[in-house]
Formats: sequence, C-alpha cells, structure tokens
Amino acid sequence: MGALDRYQYLLLMAGCLLVTLPLEFVFRARVWRQPRRLLVALVPTVMLFAAWDIAAIAREHWTFNARYVTGWRLPGNLPIEELVFFIVIPICGLLTLEAVRRILERAR
Amino acid sequence: MWQYTAAAVVAVIGVVVLELRVLRTGLLKTRAYWVAMAICYGFMIAVNGWLTKLTAPIVLYDGDATTGWRFPWDIPLEDYLYGFALLTLAMLLWDAAAPKRRAAEVPGTDATVSSPPRETARGARS
Repeated sequence: MGALDRYQYLLLMAGCLLVTLPLEFVFRARVWRQPRRLLVALVPTVMLFAAWDIAAIAREHWTFNARYVTGWRLPGNLPIEELVFFIVIPICGLLTLEAVRRILERAR
Repeated sequence: MWQYTAAAVVAVIGVVVLELRVLRTGLLKTRAYWVAMAICYGFMIAVNGWLTKLTAPIVLYDGDATTGWRFPWDIPLEDYLYGFALLTLAMLLWDAAAPKRRAAEVPGTDATVSSPPRETARGARS
C-alpha cells in the first residue's frame, strides 16, 4: 500500500463508481445516458454540500487525515476528494433508484 | 456543541420541505425510493465505515460538534442524516428534471395494445 495511501479516499470513490456502473447496463438505469438531467440533479447538490463542507472545515467540525488524502485543495480549503464525493455518491444513489424502478416495473 | 448534529437535522428538514412545498415530485411516496434508500444505506455503511473507522480514519470529527454516538463501528449518527439529505436532494432534483413522458417507460403507449389506465398510472409513479 504505502505509496497509494494518499489516494485512498479517491480510490474508495473510484470503487463506488465501478461497483454501480453495471446498474446502467444490466438494469438499464439510464443515468449516465441522460447527462443534462444528471447535471440538473448534481449542480445544486454539489454547490450546497460544498458550501456546507467549506463552513464545517473552517470551523473544524471535521478534518482530513493527511495520510489518506492527496492534499490537493480547492478554493475554500475544500479537499478535491470532497468534491469528488459530492459527485460520485449522488450518482450511485441515482443509479440505485433507477435500477430499483426498472426492477419493480418488470416485477409487475 | 452538536453543531454538526444541528446542521444535519436542518438539512433533512430542508430537503423534505423543498419536496413538499416546491418540487412536489411525489418521490417520497414511492416504494422505489424507499427500497433504493435501504440499499444505499447498506452500501453507505460499508463506505462510510471505511471513511470514519477510528483505527485509520480518513475523516475525523471534532468531538464537540457531534453527539459522539457512533454505530456501527465508528460511523457518527449524524452521517445518516447527512446521507439522507445528500441522496434525497439529488433524487428529487433528478425527478424534477424528468422528461415529461418517457414513452419507453409507460406501458401501453402503443395504441394497439393499450393497457388499463391504472397500470399506466402506476408505471409513471413507481
């Protein structure tokens, strides 16, 4: 591990994307294939949660273990990993929702 | 104290109010939503458990900002509210931006094999 330690948070997010990607094809979730609709869902969500994150980091409600993050920070002292989290996790959620919908439709 | 706790509760209320007063997608009344959330929480416990485990934490919480209740492993109670707000907000906006009518999704759109209206309504909502 060692050298990869600082990418641990990013790798965890990459894992989330990889694990949920089959939902798009196997269950025809059609999330990645509606990029504009996906943007409408993501942009306000990312902005709100990034703002919350920036405030919480400034007040030290939570901090990040320097060992497991890249150290790349965006304006507002926001770790790049957090931005990735706010994009990846909602996508995983949307894929799950749409996959469940397809399954329930078929089960009818 | 409990600033994260308070913020997380406000976030949940905010998202629910946004749905009830503004977006009115009906998402929270569908079975698909609650099934999806249950699945998401299962995966969240795995991912969040990894992020917050105190033996090698990626994210560390200020003890004063939370209640200190952690379950299972070292996941702060507040993270469940946070996760609810994050996922539900994205899902609500996703549904609010849905195309008016997706032909492929509505059974019986082919006029020659029309299904009962009740089925169509369920298809559009579930």
